[in-house]
Amino acid sequence: MDRDADKRKERQDRRFIKRETQTAAKYLRRLRELPGAPEGMEPFYQALERIYVQLQAVEREAGRKTVGTYCVMTPPELVYAAGAVPVKLCSGDYTAFSVGDGVVARDACPLVKAVAGFQQTGLMPAYADCALMVVPVTCDCKKKIAGLLADQCEVMTLHVPASREDVDIEDFVTQLYVLMEKLEEVTGSRISYQSLAEGFGKVGYAQYELSEFIRLKKEMLYLIRGSHAMAIMNAASYMPADVWGEALGAVNQSLRKKIAQKEAVTSKKLPRILLTGSPVVFPNVKIPLLVEEAGGIVAGDETCMGERGMWDPAVITDDSFDGMIRALANRALRPCPCPSFADNARRIYRLKQLIQENRIQGVIYHVLRGCLVYDYEYKRIEEELGSLGIPVIRLESDYNEEDIEQLRIRIEAFIELIKLKQAPEKARAAERSF
Amino acid sequence: MKDWKKTVVTVGVCIGLAALAYFAWLFPFYEFAVNDYETSLEKLMSAEYVRVLAPLLIILALSAAGIVLVVLVRRLLVRAGKDTPRFDRARAGRQRGAAPKRKLSLFMAVRWAAMAVFSFLMIWGGLIFGWKMSSLSIPVLSCPWNTEQMAESGCYYLSHLDELFELPGRSIVLFFGSTIFFAVLLGRVICGFLCPMGLVQDVMDGIRRKTKAEGIRMNDNMYEALVPVRWCMVLIFTGLCFAGGNFCNFCPAVAVSPILAGISTSLYVSGFFMVLVLMGGFFKRRAFCTVCPLGTVLGFFHKASPFRIRKDCQACTECGACYEACPMGIKMIYTEREKNDVTCAQCIMCGECVRCCPEDNALSLTFAGKKIYTSSRKKIMSGYARPAGENADGGRRQGF
Repeated sequence: MDRDADKRKERQDRRFIKRETQTAAKYLRRLRELPGAPEGMEPFYQALERIYVQLQAVEREAGRKTVGTYCVMTPPELVYAAGAVPVKLCSGDYTAFSVGDGVVARDACPLVKAVAGFQQTGLMPAYADCALMVVPVTCDCKKKIAGLLADQCEVMTLHVPASREDVDIEDFVTQLYVLMEKLEEVTGSRISYQSLAEGFGKVGYAQYELSEFIRLKKEMLYLIRGSHAMAIMNAASYMPADVWGEALGAVNQSLRKKIAQKEAVTSKKLPRILLTGSPVVFPNVKIPLLVEEAGGIVAGDETCMGERGMWDPAVITDDSFDGMIRALANRALRPCPCPSFADNARRIYRLKQLIQENRIQGVIYHVLRGCLVYDYEYKRIEEELGSLGIPVIRLESDYNEEDIEQLRIRIEAFIELIKLKQAPEKARAAERSF
Repeated sequence: MKDWKKTVVTVGVCIGLAALAYFAWLFPFYEFAVNDYETSLEKLMSAEYVRVLAPLLIILALSAAGIVLVVLVRRLLVRAGKDTPRFDRARAGRQRGAAPKRKLSLFMAVRWAAMAVFSFLMIWGGLIFGWKMSSLSIPVLSCPWNTEQMAESGCYYLSHLDELFELPGRSIVLFFGSTIFFAVLLGRVICGFLCPMGLVQDVMDGIRRKTKAEGIRMNDNMYEALVPVRWCMVLIFTGLCFAGGNFCNFCPAVAVSPILAGISTSLYVSGFFMVLVLMGGFFKRRAFCTVCPLGTVLGFFHKASPFRIRKDCQACTECGACYEACPMGIKMIYTEREKNDVTCAQCIMCGECVRCCPEDNALSLTFAGKKIYTSSRKKIMSGYARPAGENADGGRRQGF
């Protein structure tokens, strides 16, 4: 009886691994085949490949433990200060999703289902390897998954307040101190002023290169495809910050060269799309890929696994140890355009800013099925952007490939619509020059 | 805190301050047998100078002792877990290493230089260079007991309005003319760029930054609680003369410039107050400025001043770094979402918000519409940049 069950489990596991690695490899291949990538993309692909295809844990210095984090509110600086490496565990895996579908509530979002799936199978070293998981409670799904994860791993939840008044920041500071205690306990090393400053240095370096990257993108339109940018941002989850920063530095170098030689991804005027809403996590990169295969370009993204997640730096206004923790708490809550906060008007300003800077022509609002908080904000954003004359489309998707054709049709239609909008002007311009 | 409790405490503090100011002469801090208002360069060189400096040295010693005491008590509290959890070694122990630094901006360099030069002139200007423009009053907290300062400081007649109206008409016109001229032209730039009391407090803050001691965590409630105290100070400042008191016995500025200029001045409550100012300035940047009566009066003119803080509301991410950095606790600067002009009566134009703002062009300090200091992401991240090649193999590779 027992042996039968074992065998069945083994068979299931084998099937899981096969399907999982195949899907991940397929999407990696599609990313690699997409033309117009800058030089220096390989380290990012390799990091994704290592986790999802080779099924290995995050590459890091020997002896360093990993700490799993979810959401952007967990300060990676603290994890580095404790001598560990943070790994962002929000996942986009289709195979894990299909397993998790039977584990968690039916209406839970696919991201949480994928996490539950990996937890259930125990086949993902990136998860199994974690000494601690830090789960900021940003929505009900995250709250319940924290309880589920606690069955097999040490978990700490961070309470994310609904507002960001001064008292909320102070409460969060207290929570960060508790988190630091936990981190010390788990890693066995002590957090000192020096190690914290080093943590700031590592993350700050990554953010420095990221702000250079974004600045370069603004300098020249069509410099890089959004899918490639998304791959870079997704790889940040599985690479130590300074290694990632260094790799991004190399990409920035090649982008600078491209700007100097005026060498864009394409000479055509592809419709420029902004992607916002629920996170786009590898291997669930079907939407940016579809946009770019349909003749558009993802020129900006406002998603928490994309450029927004790492954009805001922790600004140290007070050099004391406590001042640095305060800077972290401040950064985690105040600028965060996560819809889990009650008042999130700043997201609209952020979107407007991105639209202006990147000369966006259309916005794709991505909603993962069951992701209520993002869905709530769609209406307001549609109205606001509508008043600016920017077309918005709401795309609901799930972690599987069944909806790809439907998504493709809608994305193609959306891109055609934008092309139609710009066409008459072109015709008139031609007339005039004639 | 409950509302009524807060009211009682506030009223108590205000009455206490008023009483202290009124009866200031009853609390001598340091009394000279004879106050000698004569000073010369020779006096500065002689041993006599040390005798004159005595009260200032006592103030410095007391403040240093007070600061050390507070730091030690806090350390004990952190160790005992009375404050937020543990981390005694990191928070209260010796702190090695340095937080990421960035280059001193030109604006900040100019600000420090302006404060230093102006303070120097307001203390020794008359003695060394013979520059005295006593009919010109600048509304700045540099003590007018020092007869050797470069220009008159407006604070004397503002706090002795009864004496002002006994002056000849020409002097009254000159006083109001020059005071209002400077107040309108510079506004509270005077606080951020010129005031010697500001310099003293900024130096204390600089020392704290160097030692990485923990400051006071301020929040909006605390800043709010200071508002009535500030207005009470304004009332004492302008009204005490009519009640028969002398603000100078209460004012902390008396303990700085006259003594440094070699004028022996007996100190009353001002001496004790100065100790508090120095300690406060150490733990909270520009603590005294938050209740300074002269600064509040200057704030009346903020609408007319050509110096403005401008905000690009779309570029702002509401990260609150400006609010965290602001020594005056101006919250509006980060919550404002409509107005382009975020200058307010409390702003001392120190430029700290612009320095700490991580968004390009989100905040800028302008003079007559021209940007003179603008926030920049590149500048704020400059401390984190690594020169190319440093991370090459064999280099100083930290991570992995």
